[in-house]
Amino acid sequence: MRRHERVIVAAVVLGLFGLWETLVRLERLDASLAPAPSTILGALVRLLERPEVLQSLAVTAWEVVAAFLIAVPVGLLIGFSLAEIPGLGGLLRPLVNFLFGVPKSIFLPVFILIFGVSIPQKIAFGVFTTIFVVIMGGIAAVQSVPRELVTVSRVYGATRLQIIREIYLPAMAPILLESARLGMVFNITAVLLCEIYGARDGIGYRIAAWGENLQMPQLYAALVIVAAAAVAVNEALRLVEARLGAWRQRS
Amino acid sequence: MTRPLVAIRGVTQRFGVDGAAGVTALEAIDLDIPDGQFVSVVGPSGCGKSTLLSLVAGLRTPSSGAVFCDGEPITAPMPRKVGVIFQEANLLPWLSAIDNVAFPLKLRRVPKAERLEAAARMLELTGLAGFETRLPHQLSGGMKQRVAIARGLVQNPAVLLMDEPFASLDEQTRMVLGDELLRIWSETRKTVLFVTHSLNEAVYLADRVVVLSARPGRVVDDVAVDLPRPRRFAMTSGERFGMLKDRIWQHIKHAERR
Repeated sequence: MRRHERVIVAAVVLGLFGLWETLVRLERLDASLAPAPSTILGALVRLLERPEVLQSLAVTAWEVVAAFLIAVPVGLLIGFSLAEIPGLGGLLRPLVNFLFGVPKSIFLPVFILIFGVSIPQKIAFGVFTTIFVVIMGGIAAVQSVPRELVTVSRVYGATRLQIIREIYLPAMAPILLESARLGMVFNITAVLLCEIYGARDGIGYRIAAWGENLQMPQLYAALVIVAAAAVAVNEALRLVEARLGAWRQRS
Repeated sequence: MTRPLVAIRGVTQRFGVDGAAGVTALEAIDLDIPDGQFVSVVGPSGCGKSTLLSLVAGLRTPSSGAVFCDGEPITAPMPRKVGVIFQEANLLPWLSAIDNVAFPLKLRRVPKAERLEAAARMLELTGLAGFETRLPHQLSGGMKQRVAIARGLVQNPAVLLMDEPFASLDEQTRMVLGDELLRIWSETRKTVLFVTHSLNEAVYLADRVVVLSARPGRVVDDVAVDLPRPRRFAMTSGERFGMLKDRIWQHIKHAERR
């Protein structure tokens, strides 16, 4: 985005918040459903001062990170195996494709039956939701490796290990990061869904409670926190992706 | 006579399931290529020209017969003796021009300073001084192919295999690169095995043109190109050039019509 475009976008966003604030103050908007931005900001500051809210955020963050750290390596291993081992891919890929298309939320009651309402249940469900994106990404990444570059390296005497390090890894890196980033979006959604559905702690659990008690300023403030964290993670991963994938640009 | 640098002895290559009902790509090929000779290989489409190169490159082993380089049988790629240039430049898109040229040395774990120095020299030889840090997508098709040639030469191999290296370039770039190749060849005196579809290119560049028949590929003619060097563009409209080209064309026309 060019500079003047950024200024315009910022102006539009600020303008919308200003309009919102004005409408609430003029009592054209119901403050019990849509509290004024200034009220939400106040609630946000107070939330971040409450230790039990920070504790909930930490619980959610832990669940998200743990699920991600399990889903990505395991998913990639499965993806690479499906792509590289002849026979295995043909056998199992229809199953993976099928499960990829099924909404994962319908399995949530099963996870509660197996793990109970617990932190392992959130992590397991996060892994389950994320891993299919990562598997598909792993397969796509292997298939994106240009065969002719492998041939070139063989001609110049590359060993198997060198082909993996010098050709496979750099060629796959952008797609792997992209699938990790997409997986993270699914992962955060899955963990929050679990917490809203049934939990003893976590920011999703608090959001559900505030919603039921009609504590709208707290609810919106929590939404702002979650959205900011999710966007920050997404943008950070995208930055790495852009840096490692600069060679993909066509001029 | 001195021992040939590249010797192809009774080479037959079949493809297919366990050899049964398979396709015979090459049959009973015998070729001796002396050190420093520039040999073009032509033939009708699908005659196994590229298969022949991949055998010399050590990318496959023949069904029967053998290929020797400097007296040694070729069973696997010999990167220090044989450089290969493909139809597409096939550069690693994430590496700069100089790192691409240095890549074969990196595989051999040559120290960084040493390999970059060698790569810079090769880029200069191929007319790319000043483009060291460019990424492949920032180079034109002709420049990419120059980088590929520099990469093929960086280990100072005795043999250079070229598989239709200029086929995907436009006519003018092709002619310029052809002359560049001859200049580089006269400076380095490599043995060149050059596969091409273009009869003009085959005759213009080479000391000798080997003509293969349609599948299964056999050597049907071996034409000595007795044009003086250095070659000049004006020769391509000369009588001798036309006679040589016509002789080759008679073989190929016959095969393509079948």
